[in-house]
Amino acid sequence: MNSLLISNLSKTYANGVKALDKVSLTIPVGMFGLLGPNGAGKSTLMRTIATLQEPDQGLITLGELNVLTQKNEVRKILGYLPQEFGLYPRVSAKSLLEHLAVLKGISNRKERKEIVEALLYKTNLYTDRNKNLGGFSGGMKRRFGIAQALLANPKLIIVDEPTAGLDPAERNRFYNLLSELGENTIVILSTHIVDDVKELCPNMAIINRGKVLLQGSPSKTIADIQDKVYAKTIEKQQIKQYKEEYNVIAEKLLSGKPIIHILSDTDPKDDFVPIKAELSDVYFSQIFAKTE
Amino acid sequence: MWYEIFKFELKYRAKRPDTYIYFGIVFLYAIIAVDFLFEGNLDPIQRNAPIVIARTMGIISALFMMITSMIMGVAALRDFDHRIASLIFINPINKKDYLLGRFLGSLVILLFIFSGLLGGMILGDIMPWVDQNTILPFNFWHYFQPFICLVVPTLFFGGAIFFVTGALSRKLIVVYTQGIFFLMIYLLTINLAKDSDYNLFTAFIDPFTFQNISITTQFWSVAERNSLVIPFEGILMYNRLFWITIGIISLIIGYYKFKFTVISDKIKKQQALITLDVTKEIVDHYNNVRLPSLTMNSTEGIKFKTTQLLTQALFNFKSIIKGLPFWTIVLCALGIILLSSFDLGTSFGVDSYPTTYIVIGELIENTVLFFLLIIIFYSGELVWKDRDNNINGISDTLPISDFVNLSAKLIALLSATTILIFIIISSGIIFQTAKGYYNYQLDLYFIGFFVEVFPFLFLLSIICFLIQALLNHKFLAHIIVVTFIFVSTILLNILGYDHGLYSFGGSDLGAYSDMNGYGHFIEPFIWFKIYWISFSLVLFIFAALISIRGAETNIISRCKVVKIRLSKRLKILTIICVLVFGISGVYIFYNTNILNIYSTTATENIHRAEYEKNLKKYVYLKQPKIVDINLVIDLYPSKRSFEAKGYFILVNTHDLLINEIHVQKKPQEQINLTYVDFEGGYNLNTKYETYGYHIYELHKPLKPGDSIKMKFKQDYVNQGFTEKSNTDIVYNGTFFNNFYFPTIGYNDNIELDDDKEREKHNLKPKIRRAKINDSRALLQGRSGGDGEEINFEIIIGTESDQIGVAPGYLQKEWIDGNRKYYHYKMDKPMSNFYSILSAEYQVKKDQWNSLNTDEAVDLEIYYHKGHEYNLNRMMNGMKKSFDYFTKHFSPYQYKQMRIVESTSYKKRAQSFPNIVPFSESIGFIMDINDEEDVDMPFYITAHEMAHQWWGHQVNPADVQGRGMLSETLAQYAAIMVLKQEYPEEKVRQFIETERKRYLKGRAAEKGQEMPLYLVESGQEYIHYGKGALNMYAFQDYITEDSVNIALKRFIRDWDSFEGIKKKNTKNYPTTLELLKYFKEVTPDSMQYVINDLFETVTLYSNRVKKANFKKVSDKKYAVNITIEAQKYKVDSLGIKVPIGINDWIDIGIYTEDNGYKEITYLQKHKITNRNTVLQILVDKKPVSAGIDPKHILIDKNVDDNVMHLTEK
Repeated sequence: MNSLLISNLSKTYANGVKALDKVSLTIPVGMFGLLGPNGAGKSTLMRTIATLQEPDQGLITLGELNVLTQKNEVRKILGYLPQEFGLYPRVSAKSLLEHLAVLKGISNRKERKEIVEALLYKTNLYTDRNKNLGGFSGGMKRRFGIAQALLANPKLIIVDEPTAGLDPAERNRFYNLLSELGENTIVILSTHIVDDVKELCPNMAIINRGKVLLQGSPSKTIADIQDKVYAKTIEKQQIKQYKEEYNVIAEKLLSGKPIIHILSDTDPKDDFVPIKAELSDVYFSQIFAKTE
Repeated sequence: MWYEIFKFELKYRAKRPDTYIYFGIVFLYAIIAVDFLFEGNLDPIQRNAPIVIARTMGIISALFMMITSMIMGVAALRDFDHRIASLIFINPINKKDYLLGRFLGSLVILLFIFSGLLGGMILGDIMPWVDQNTILPFNFWHYFQPFICLVVPTLFFGGAIFFVTGALSRKLIVVYTQGIFFLMIYLLTINLAKDSDYNLFTAFIDPFTFQNISITTQFWSVAERNSLVIPFEGILMYNRLFWITIGIISLIIGYYKFKFTVISDKIKKQQALITLDVTKEIVDHYNNVRLPSLTMNSTEGIKFKTTQLLTQALFNFKSIIKGLPFWTIVLCALGIILLSSFDLGTSFGVDSYPTTYIVIGELIENTVLFFLLIIIFYSGELVWKDRDNNINGISDTLPISDFVNLSAKLIALLSATTILIFIIISSGIIFQTAKGYYNYQLDLYFIGFFVEVFPFLFLLSIICFLIQALLNHKFLAHIIVVTFIFVSTILLNILGYDHGLYSFGGSDLGAYSDMNGYGHFIEPFIWFKIYWISFSLVLFIFAALISIRGAETNIISRCKVVKIRLSKRLKILTIICVLVFGISGVYIFYNTNILNIYSTTATENIHRAEYEKNLKKYVYLKQPKIVDINLVIDLYPSKRSFEAKGYFILVNTHDLLINEIHVQKKPQEQINLTYVDFEGGYNLNTKYETYGYHIYELHKPLKPGDSIKMKFKQDYVNQGFTEKSNTDIVYNGTFFNNFYFPTIGYNDNIELDDDKEREKHNLKPKIRRAKINDSRALLQGRSGGDGEEINFEIIIGTESDQIGVAPGYLQKEWIDGNRKYYHYKMDKPMSNFYSILSAEYQVKKDQWNSLNTDEAVDLEIYYHKGHEYNLNRMMNGMKKSFDYFTKHFSPYQYKQMRIVESTSYKKRAQSFPNIVPFSESIGFIMDINDEEDVDMPFYITAHEMAHQWWGHQVNPADVQGRGMLSETLAQYAAIMVLKQEYPEEKVRQFIETERKRYLKGRAAEKGQEMPLYLVESGQEYIHYGKGALNMYAFQDYITEDSVNIALKRFIRDWDSFEGIKKKNTKNYPTTLELLKYFKEVTPDSMQYVINDLFETVTLYSNRVKKANFKKVSDKKYAVNITIEAQKYKVDSLGIKVPIGINDWIDIGIYTEDNGYKEITYLQKHKITNRNTVLQILVDKKPVSAGIDPKHILIDKNVDDNVMHLTEK
């Protein structure tokens, strides 16, 4: 399987928002994490790859396929789970899955039955397979969404914030499933949960405001800032002052008191302690540091 | 607090574009509404007459109930739909404030939107295309009064109901569909209104009042219609109060039922159940199950696409028929079928047998709106299905082409309509069965629905899909579709552009006739459908290519991807469609415009106007008259053509030389006058060739009294097809008359009739009949100067399975090859009015023998096989007519009488010498129930028989009053025959329908309502309707015998051939002569009646004011009644002037016997005052009493003539 090449992709919405700004990425087979805050342009990028949106300029190719013009060819090998979606309320999970399977080209009745059942098991919907989707809870709907995205042996899987609404056990199951598939499939996973990417993805990119800020493997990007991250517990009213003095990349609370992380090439002293860098530090350093 | 919510609602709506879009729609539609709704047929009512404004407002408020529903329905629903109900409801608002604020706020917005009606309609009346002659001076009250009295209550109750259903159901689908419910009410009122018995009830329940208005104003005169504002009183006021009450009740119900909680109980239960299931048994198969490998070898090619198409279509189809709205529509359609009073070819209040084609016509007429509804509604639902369910993110990435996707929706939609079709057909069959009619003719059902209706549904669906695909707004698209239907069907027709090549969808299939089937209509119909279907397929492909897929909704960016989406296969399909479209278009054009001449009404009118301007100068040119006609006609029914040759003998009846003879060819392109030849030679002057007007300058002028032979040959050939094709010469049921052959001199039938059109062409209004003393017109009878009395001989050749029929007696009949020939000859002169018929006939024979003399007449009925129902009634009608007419008027002039069935294209019977063509649709298939119905086949037969006397023995002069001498006297004669054969009630029942015909007719009179003796052309309501009423009244006053004596004398003196007076004059008789005979037989005390009935327009307003009775002794009862009698004369301007009364009027008293009302006292009293108190003694216990109980006099309101008596 070839890798997915994105070059110079730009998109500006009618209201002036620049959702993608000359995005270029190379996405190889395997899991690929797309990190970024809300409104970073992740979904626009995912939709564009999923044939649902036209860029203003740029090119996307998947091997021989031009994703922007050979949409139907791409759709044949695509599995897509949108960030937000609904389902037909008066259809059962099984029959909708069967229906989608036919449309995706699984014409062999026996095979169709097998894959549908397998996916229903995998997504833990088997017991509810004959119930109308209208009665499904948010988590069940999302699991159904996962099931449909995996129908028909997709070669390109795009999942947009897939674990929102799933409980931890379900989340684990899903990620296992994805990484199994990721062995010979391109899986693009968009999320703002940094740990997911760290655990699953050999490759990742961070985007914000339509731009790719960083692309590489999580471990390498962590290594790049290793020994440069320091932490300190401070008082609330001091935050502002510290932000002015240091390159603060993160702040969190511990027992109600703020802990700040800063990025510094040299030891800042001043009671800061060096800590082991995490992917989240990479992420925040990209998001915040550059924007100041 | 409610005021805050109210304010918030107003502010919110004020910011919404929808508000202004709806306002704009109402406003723009109101500008053109009058033109659309009345199709330019208002004349003589002015465009902005109060009644027109009121009706238009009523109709618009009904049509735009959808807007009301959208505005009011979402008012409380919005919070649920936008899922912020939980944020709203936790605020400290109470239910009353919330609902009241929302309701009033939305109502104000709704009123704002519909105020567009006021402005739009006012503006509409000053638009440049409006003829300012059709406009009354501006009066704001005329607009404002109906808006306040009619529209505002409609908006209130509609709004209240929609608001409540929206709030309670919390479903957008309900908001969309509740319009259907109102549509049903709307249809129901229309259907009920068809049956006049329910008038008051209809007026009461009509929610939109436009039926109410037409009922309350049905007998208003033109002057009243043009000036009076609909009074807000009586039934109209009760109606409004009723609906306002309904609105208030629904608000109250809504208030109590509305729950101030976020989730309705039902949904909660369902969810709880499923969550339980999940936690109950978590079986983690995760580790055991592996995803199987798939072959996936078939994602290419047609087979895969077909699978996708069918799967999607089935899926969509299921989603339609699983839903409640579909079955609601189906149930409504069935409800309408059940409730509506089918017009089973009803004439004179009598139904026909429920033959399949009549039932189909009614089924379609009653349910067509439901088909529209399904298509408009579900096209939107299907296009929006994925987006409404928010599943489009998933479904849009499926490997399915846009064309396959949209095609699947089209198939699903059409399958749903097919379901409705089958249900409707079944109900039609059940209806027929219930009526005891078992000849179902399934093939006709198939053609009616699948050949005629289905292509229309197909085209409409495509338009709906296209508009839905173009616009990113479901509801706006609905409105545009509705507007499109209006524009495409009505606007082009108004403008006179009616060619099927550009009026969307082409024309209808045309009328069905049992005799001729769909005849020659099928071929052009199919071609036009091919043309339009191929065109719409191109539109459909385009719709598929620009349909919204993914996140791009902007139309420009969607247009950009069209090229990418257009696959090779689609390209080929598009090219094929364009080719088919082009070729069929060219072929149609070749047929309609090259083989035939296509002319719009406008160009035809120009031609007629030019004819009159150029040739009117010849109208009184002395021309010879036809005295002999000898024709040989070869009919080719299967080719719809004929060849005719023969000669006329013309005689110069004038006292000067005739140098030129003017011959007018019938102006019809299929007719080709091959040659005309005069004895002695001639020069042909072709100056007016374009009008088919040929002037033959004779070499040898025709001397007074001399005759000349005019030989001619003409053929009638149909080439290719046209849209509005001739229905006289058809495959089976050919029927045409002498006007197909050349006429002599200027022919004023060609002139423009419509006065508005004439004005456009600078022509004076047409004189509807020459003045009664016009000396030149008195010389002409019904044939208008061509020659009135002729000798007639004809040979008809036709195809061997048909019989050819014409006036005269059959001399000989022979077969030559596969053709049959019939030679007819009349043995004495007859009217110059003859018909030629040919069809596959069965013949029933009988004979009438006179009771008194040895006269005998052979009777025959030529009928279509299967139409045997009423043959005996007709035969009896002929016999009873001959009994009566030979006894009371004069002997019958011929030895034979024939009724010949003709097609349903002309819905009438017509009397020619010894032959009466009688349309299949008015007598042959009538289903007479002797309990309830008047025996109309019997009556119509008698009427036509009477014309053998009144028309063919007495030929009236072509002046005012002509219709009275033929039609009124035929009506009288037929009523007398009916009276002999049937009880008095049947006669009264018949007279009642004529009374309504007269009153409705005079309300629609565009010119002056003439008195009966001066009746002009186009005043059928006078010579048929009023004629029947007043002749009945006349014989009631002076006795039947006296009337008959007068008529006997009249015919003795004025018979065209042997009349004593007619022999001494060239003049034909007028009503002035007839009235002399009437006066002779009328006693002095009754002479005023002749003036009232015939010489003036007289109306009465009679009623009982008070009535009671007292038991005087054992068998004596004293009835006291106070009556009011008012008499009016209508002057030449149409103004009703009250005059003093001094009349003999019936006073009647009824008793009851075994539940039957029986008249026990009926006497004419001389009424001399407006108010009269009478005391009358009767022997039996009276129950009711009144003035003119038999409705002898013309009274707009006869319901108050009789009153129930109270005992004192």
